[in-house]
Amino acid sequence: MESTSAKAPSFLSTAREQQRSMVEEYYAGLAQAGGAKRPVAYMLVGGNLTEIVRSFGYEVVFPEIVALNCAIKHVSLPNILHAESQGYGLDVCGYVKNDLGLQDLGGETPFGRIPPPDLLVCSFSGCYVYVKWWEALAEKYGCPLFMLDVPYMRDPEPQAEDRTYLIAQLKEFITLLERTTGRSFDLGELRRVLARSRRAEEGWVEYLDSGRGRPSPIEAYFEAVFYMFPINVLRGTEVAAEFYATVNAEVKERVRTGQYPVPEEKVRLVVEGVPPYPSYRTFWDFFRKWGAVSVAATYPKVGGLFDRGFLHDPGRPLESIADYSLGAYVNQSWPLRRKLIADYVKDFQADAVLIHGIKSCRSFTAGQGDLRDWLIHDLHVPTLYLESDHEDPRYFAPAQIKNRMDAFFESLGPRREPLVPPPGAP
Amino acid sequence: MVQLAREVVLDPTYPTVRAWTRRGRRAVGCFPVYTPQELVHAMGLLPVSLHGGGENVEISHADAALGSFLCSISKSTLELALTARLAPFRAFIFPYICDVSRNLEGIFSRLMPGTETHMLHLPQNFRSEATVPFLVAEYRRLIAKLERAGGEPYRPERLEASVRLFNLQRERIGELTATKRDEPDKLTLTESYLLRRLGGLLPREVHVELLDRMRSQIEDRPPRRKDAIRTLLVGPFCEQPTLDLIDLIEQAGCYIVDDELLQVHRWYGQLEVEGDPLVSLARAYVQSPVDIGVRAAPSSKGEAILRRVNDARAQGVIFLTAKFCEPALEDVVLYRKALDRQKIPYLHLEFEERSTSFEQSRLQLETFVESILFD
Repeated sequence: MESTSAKAPSFLSTAREQQRSMVEEYYAGLAQAGGAKRPVAYMLVGGNLTEIVRSFGYEVVFPEIVALNCAIKHVSLPNILHAESQGYGLDVCGYVKNDLGLQDLGGETPFGRIPPPDLLVCSFSGCYVYVKWWEALAEKYGCPLFMLDVPYMRDPEPQAEDRTYLIAQLKEFITLLERTTGRSFDLGELRRVLARSRRAEEGWVEYLDSGRGRPSPIEAYFEAVFYMFPINVLRGTEVAAEFYATVNAEVKERVRTGQYPVPEEKVRLVVEGVPPYPSYRTFWDFFRKWGAVSVAATYPKVGGLFDRGFLHDPGRPLESIADYSLGAYVNQSWPLRRKLIADYVKDFQADAVLIHGIKSCRSFTAGQGDLRDWLIHDLHVPTLYLESDHEDPRYFAPAQIKNRMDAFFESLGPRREPLVPPPGAP
Repeated sequence: MVQLAREVVLDPTYPTVRAWTRRGRRAVGCFPVYTPQELVHAMGLLPVSLHGGGENVEISHADAALGSFLCSISKSTLELALTARLAPFRAFIFPYICDVSRNLEGIFSRLMPGTETHMLHLPQNFRSEATVPFLVAEYRRLIAKLERAGGEPYRPERLEASVRLFNLQRERIGELTATKRDEPDKLTLTESYLLRRLGGLLPREVHVELLDRMRSQIEDRPPRRKDAIRTLLVGPFCEQPTLDLIDLIEQAGCYIVDDELLQVHRWYGQLEVEGDPLVSLARAYVQSPVDIGVRAAPSSKGEAILRRVNDARAQGVIFLTAKFCEPALEDVVLYRKALDRQKIPYLHLEFEERSTSFEQSRLQLETFVESILFD
C-alpha cells in the first residue's frame, strides 16, 4: 500500500504566493509599529477581539503565531532555551517560552522585529496558560491588560448568561480603548471591519468544505495551516476578505484538472491536535508516502468554528463578537469536541483519525487518550495517537513516529468504504 | 487525633464518605482549588475535597486516557474513578483552575455514567461589573446539576445557614493558621495540614467540634523553640505533597509560617450575607484577597509575593510545585525576580504525588536552611 515516492507537496500556487506576501508585509508593517500613532495590541488567537481593536487603529500581534513561525523556521529553540535560563521549566508551554525568550532577546526574528505591546488583550478562551502568559508580559512591560473572561462552552449553543457577561465586558473594553487612544468608538467602522471579516470567513468555510470531495482537493491539516494566517491574523482587513476567492478558484482548478494534493488518495484522515511545527515537513511526508490526506482537522478551528455555522454579523456587532469568542475550538467541552470529530469522520467520509498530542499543551491534549479510546471502542474508527511538541524540536522523535505511523497505515489496508459512526453517537 | 487524621487522609477509599452514604446521605466530590462548598452543603449533600490518590494509588488505567505529560493529581483522581473508589459520590465538580481540571470533567462525564459532573467556570475578570451576576448564573447551573444528583431543592435560607457553619469552620482554621504563623513551634506543619485536610472530608459540624477540642490541646503545649527559619511555602495549592515531604520540610529546619495548602478553607474570611446569599457567595469569591497561580493576578505577582513574605514575617520562601503544574511553574519565575531584587532567599523543589525518595530534597532543604542560619 505504501507509495513508492513522495514528491514535495504542491501548494495552490497563486494563493501560496499571495499568502507569502501577506505574511511578509504584515511583519514588515509591524517593525514600524508602536507608540501613540500606531499602537500595538497583543492578542491571543482563541476568542480574539481583532475587529474591535482594529477599529481603534491598533496593529495586532499574535505571539502564538509568531511562535509557530519561529518553530517552522527552526529558530524556536534558542528562544525556548533562553526562557528556560530565566527559570521557565521544561513543562511550560512551548509558545510561552518561545515568546518570553524572544521578548527578552529583543524581539528580532528572521521575518522581522516584533514590537513591544502598548496594550495586552487576554481573551481567556480555551487556554488557561493565556492568563499566565499575559501576566508575565504585563509584569515585563507594565502596559494595560484587559482580561476578557470567556465562559467555557458546555452547551452546543451560547447561553444567554454567557452572552450577557461577554457583551458587558466588551463594552468595558471599548471604554478602555477610548480612554487609552483618545478616540471615540465608531460603530460604523466596526460594522465595516466585521463585514470584511465575514467575507473572509465565508471563503475560508468554502475552502474547508472542499475536503468532502473524493478525492479531496485540499489537504485540510498541513496545507490549511498556511491559509489560516489571514483568517486569524488579518481578519477584518480587505486583503483577508479577498484572499479566499483566490484560494477557492485554485481549488476548483485542481478539481477540473485532477491535480490533487495527494495524487493517489488511499487514506482519508481526520486530524486532531496541533502540528509539530519544528518538524512540519517531515511529519507531512510521513502521511504522503502512504497516500494519506487530511480531509478535515480540528486545529485550523482554533481561531473559530466558522465551518459550524458561526459567522461575524455586522448587524449584531457585539453579540456576534461575543458568540465568536465562545467558539474557539479548545473552548469547547470534551463532549462537544467528541461530537465535532465524529461529525467530521462521517461528513468527510474519513477512514481513520490521527491524534497528535502536544507535550506542553494541556488544553488541547489532556483527554486525547480518552478520545482515542472512544473512537476505537465506541465508534470503531481506527485511531492513532502520537505525541511530540508544537514548538520544541527536542520532543520530535522521527524514527519512532514514523514507525508508528507506518504500522498504523499498513494495518488500515486499502480501505475503500468509509467508516461511519453509528447513528445517534454523541 | 493526628494519627487518626493521618489514617483517614491516606485511605483512598474515603472511609468518612462511605460512612456518610451508608446512612442514606449523598456526597459530592470537589476538585481543588476552590468550589462553593457551602452551596453543596445547603442542598443536603456532603461536599468532599478531592486531593488525588496520594502515595498509595498505583496508576494503571488513567495514563491511557490522559497522556504522558500531565500532573499526578489528574491521573490519580481518574484512577480512583476507574477503579470504583469514587463510587460513593453522586456528583463531581471540577473548577476551571487550569486546563487539566477543566478537561477532566469532560472525561468523567463519559466514564462515570450515572453521576452528575459540572465544570464550574470560575471567572478571571475581577474588575467587571458583570462578573458577580455571571457567577451567580454559573452557580444556578451548578444547582440544577446538584438537584439532579439528589440534592434537596435550593433554598436561600438553607444557604445562609450553611454559610454560618462554614464561617465557623473558617474561623477555626484561621486560628490554626494564625497559631502556625505566630507560634510556629506549637504545632507542626504536618499537624496543621492534617487537621485542615480533615475539613474537606468530614461533615463540617464534626470538623468544627474537632478543631475546638484541638485548640485547647495546642494552647496548652509548652514552647519547644528551635533554631528554625520562618518560611513561606508556595505552590502546592492543588496537588498535595506526600506527608513524608511535608514532614521533611520542617525536620530540615524550617518553620512554615504560611502556606498555599488547602486554600478552599481560606478563600475568604467571614462571609457576611446581605440580601441574596448566592450573590454574597459569588461576591466573596470575586473579592477574595487570595492571590495564587490559579487566579488572574489582582496585583503584580512580584508585589504579591513580597507582601506575603512581609505579612508572614518570613525569612525565606520554598517553592514546592507539582510536576507539570503550569500555573505554579509560571508564577515561580515572576516571584523569583521579585525576591532576587529584595535579596530574599528561596528554594524551588518539584514533587509528584507518588514521590517516595527525598534524599535530594533533604540535601537541598538543609543547604537552604544553613545558608540562612549562617548568613
